[in-house]
Amino acid sequence: MKWLGAVLIGPTLWFAIFLAVYGLHGLICAQWGVVDFSGRAVMIVVWGIGVALFWPLLRYMPAGHACSIDLPRAGLWIGLGATVFTLFPVLIASSCS
Amino acid sequence: MTDVSPAAGPQADTAATTITLAANPRQRALRLHRELSQVWANDRGLWGQVTAVSHTTLGLRFMATAFVFFAIGGILSMLIRAQLATPDGAFLDTELYNQIFTMHGTIMMFLFAIPMLEGIAIWLLPKMLGTRDMAFPRLTALGYWCYLFGGLIMLTALLFGVAPRDGWFMYTPLSNAVFSPGINADVWLLGVTFVEISAIAAAIEITVTILRQRAPGMRLMEMPLFAWYMLGTSAMMLVGFPPLIAGSVLLEMERAFDWPFFDPTRGGDPLLWQHLFWLFGHPEVYIIFLPAAGVMSMMIPVLCRTTILGYGAIVAAILALVFLSFGLWVHHMFTVGIPHMALAFFSAASVLVAVPTAVQIFAWIGTMWKGNPQLHLPMYHILGFFLTFVMGGLTGVMLAIVPFNWQAHDTAFVTAHLHYVLIGGFVFPMMAAATYWMPLMTGKRRIKGLGEAAFWVILIGFHGTFFIMHLTGLLGMPRRIDVYPDNPEWIWLNLTSSIFGFVLTIGFAMYAMDLILQATLGKRQSRDPWQAPTLDWAMPLPAPNYNFASLPTARHLRRDAREVILPLARGEGVLAGAPRGQREFLVTSVGDATPDHVAILPGNTALPLALSSAIGAFVLLMLASLYALAGLALLPVAALIWVWARGMAPQDSLHPVEVAPNFRLPVHHHAMTSLGQSGLFALLIANGTLYASLLFGLAFLSVVTPGPEVPAATVGGVPVVSALGVLAASLVAAQFATADQSATNALVALVGNLVALAALLSVLPFLDDPTAHARDALRAALAGYVGLHVLVAAGMAAFVFDQHRRSEVTATQQGAWPACRLWQRYTGAVTLITLVVAIAQEVLT
Repeated sequence: MKWLGAVLIGPTLWFAIFLAVYGLHGLICAQWGVVDFSGRAVMIVVWGIGVALFWPLLRYMPAGHACSIDLPRAGLWIGLGATVFTLFPVLIASSCS
Repeated sequence: MTDVSPAAGPQADTAATTITLAANPRQRALRLHRELSQVWANDRGLWGQVTAVSHTTLGLRFMATAFVFFAIGGILSMLIRAQLATPDGAFLDTELYNQIFTMHGTIMMFLFAIPMLEGIAIWLLPKMLGTRDMAFPRLTALGYWCYLFGGLIMLTALLFGVAPRDGWFMYTPLSNAVFSPGINADVWLLGVTFVEISAIAAAIEITVTILRQRAPGMRLMEMPLFAWYMLGTSAMMLVGFPPLIAGSVLLEMERAFDWPFFDPTRGGDPLLWQHLFWLFGHPEVYIIFLPAAGVMSMMIPVLCRTTILGYGAIVAAILALVFLSFGLWVHHMFTVGIPHMALAFFSAASVLVAVPTAVQIFAWIGTMWKGNPQLHLPMYHILGFFLTFVMGGLTGVMLAIVPFNWQAHDTAFVTAHLHYVLIGGFVFPMMAAATYWMPLMTGKRRIKGLGEAAFWVILIGFHGTFFIMHLTGLLGMPRRIDVYPDNPEWIWLNLTSSIFGFVLTIGFAMYAMDLILQATLGKRQSRDPWQAPTLDWAMPLPAPNYNFASLPTARHLRRDAREVILPLARGEGVLAGAPRGQREFLVTSVGDATPDHVAILPGNTALPLALSSAIGAFVLLMLASLYALAGLALLPVAALIWVWARGMAPQDSLHPVEVAPNFRLPVHHHAMTSLGQSGLFALLIANGTLYASLLFGLAFLSVVTPGPEVPAATVGGVPVVSALGVLAASLVAAQFATADQSATNALVALVGNLVALAALLSVLPFLDDPTAHARDALRAALAGYVGLHVLVAAGMAAFVFDQHRRSEVTATQQGAWPACRLWQRYTGAVTLITLVVAIAQEVLT
């Protein structure tokens, strides 16, 4: 079960960060009608913290075995890649329009 | 000697144990077969079909019923194509046309695709994993009857002209009581929810079966890829279906009781429905695709005489798909006015999902490249899959790009895309799977010729129908219109699609005929015709209900099926025969499949039919707007659930069972973690997702929806005290339910829950009118959710108390205590969260 849990950590973390940034965006737009510099900065910080969380996980995740691919580590890379790619629009996209 | 010893390894319980179970002594295969058949066979005659709980019978029945619904959905599509063949089609009037396209989509998604994948999983998984049945056979049967009755309700509505007519996605306000009076929309909301009981049931038992019933020594990373795909699928079903159930319940409550969840004039929002629907709807595409990809991953290596390329990469791709598919739902809503940044998030996710899909495609192509492909009939359909699905995937990437999506949205281009994905990604693989496993289903050999012809007719008919539809869409033809008198440029395109549509239907009829001929007139097939290395072929043809005379162990894995057929049939595996006259299989641990205990299954019973009939009566009374009577109809449902649970009480010998020489295991009544606990845990995941969907609705309406001013809350001090009373009583009940298992604690838990229920009922008169504003409606819905859970918790505590009274709980026998504890903890948690949310809402607004 622990191994299965380790496999799920990476994608779950992506999902949590994705929902957090998406939710934050909705909240900011609903409250202020525009994502100004500080609003965007908050979103970027949340995104950055999310990306940074993968670092210790990748560093300390025990190596897997029993297969040609180390699935828990692969899960972390999947989560990291998805976090970077799906949320990069916080850097460039127009805000609440 | 028996050796179950932990091996060296610092982590990862997938590979931490080495298992060597000694072989049982050889016995006469025929004697074992007779012994097992007597225990596992269905009852005779028609009654035997009613009471059957065998996964082999029910799996086949699921697939056959799904195929019938596929045929009905196909006939409806022909009616649509007949109407669209000419610009002023007078074949159907608008009302009937609306019902027909709605029912076509609904049938194909809910009554064909999902049940078909459930059927193949139910039929195939125990065979592949080396066990004798699914984890909960009565639940399998309940799922089937709910599916059948739900489907029949919708079909009957179509025959009487009151079928749903608002599209298979039931968008509000089109589907609300103002714009869709009558019972048409109710038929969809209640019928589909009824059918979804079957999906949730299947998801629970597929999950538990894969995690707890693999052959001893079959570690997770060694199980057949189909099992990985189904594990991903079942997890997605557990999380994906509850948002739709939540949405359907809310919309039905809006229609029935005027609670304005989706009414913008009273604080609701139609977009909430779209969010809830597509939170289900997009993962649904992958729920349909993954099982198909699973059967592909099993068939391609066998048909290419090689092993699969990139097993680990495929498992990683499944993992990625399972999660990413939940980050795509908004791409169905690109045109509803969502801000650009949010669109960009979902656009990026929609593009990214192509990567794990491509990993699988390249793994399959690589497997074919390194092997020696043989052009048997299943391979025809596999090649049809490659051609069709890749094209559908590419148009999917096009639609993921927001500017293109804005142009193509709601046009025939999308219709073409989704048919390429669903027929390419599901129907072609399923046709390949049916032809591949037909010998195992029927024991018969195929009659050559017709199947190949059917494939070509289907392929030509499909692409003739739908390829051209891309162009129709790009020329601007909207979906779901019944006439187009002012657009002569669409005429030849539609006529061509209609002609090839009929060709496609003829192809499917030929395919069905091929299967029927094989089943009825085919010659007897020898064992393991494909020389496959998987356990599903290591059994007699056709597969008996019990699958294996003795269960395989580590030494039977990764060998050609024909090498292990005889040893298993002669009882040289574990748990040979049925010497105790009861249905038994081995339960193993999640990671490394170490033998844990022996599960004793219930036999044939009509209880699932009775329970689904009672649920069906509730649905019909709701449809008839007889809400008070519908409430009463839940009493027999509760009574039958009680009888169901009583059926799990120990009745036979509880002595440990010798599964292999000198190796005994306890029966499940003495197990620390039974299958029932695992199943309840899976159910609570689905239940928790439903609850989270309600909270999402509350957050969405509170934050995003502009709506009218929220009326001032009139809730005073009395209900606050009562609500705190609900929480206190629920927590007290949880405390006693999780303490030592004694009759006194069970009684206190029961009383605590009843007090909580009484306190909750005392709150209700003080709540704001739920018809006034969506906020109040959602608050009442959450209160109802908590109340239902407290009621169930009280019922479970009463059941446990009754078990104590009957002396069915002892020091080594937990009875229903583990389930009661788990449910009580969950109830306490949702009570607490609901109260905090309600208070926070009051404070913040």
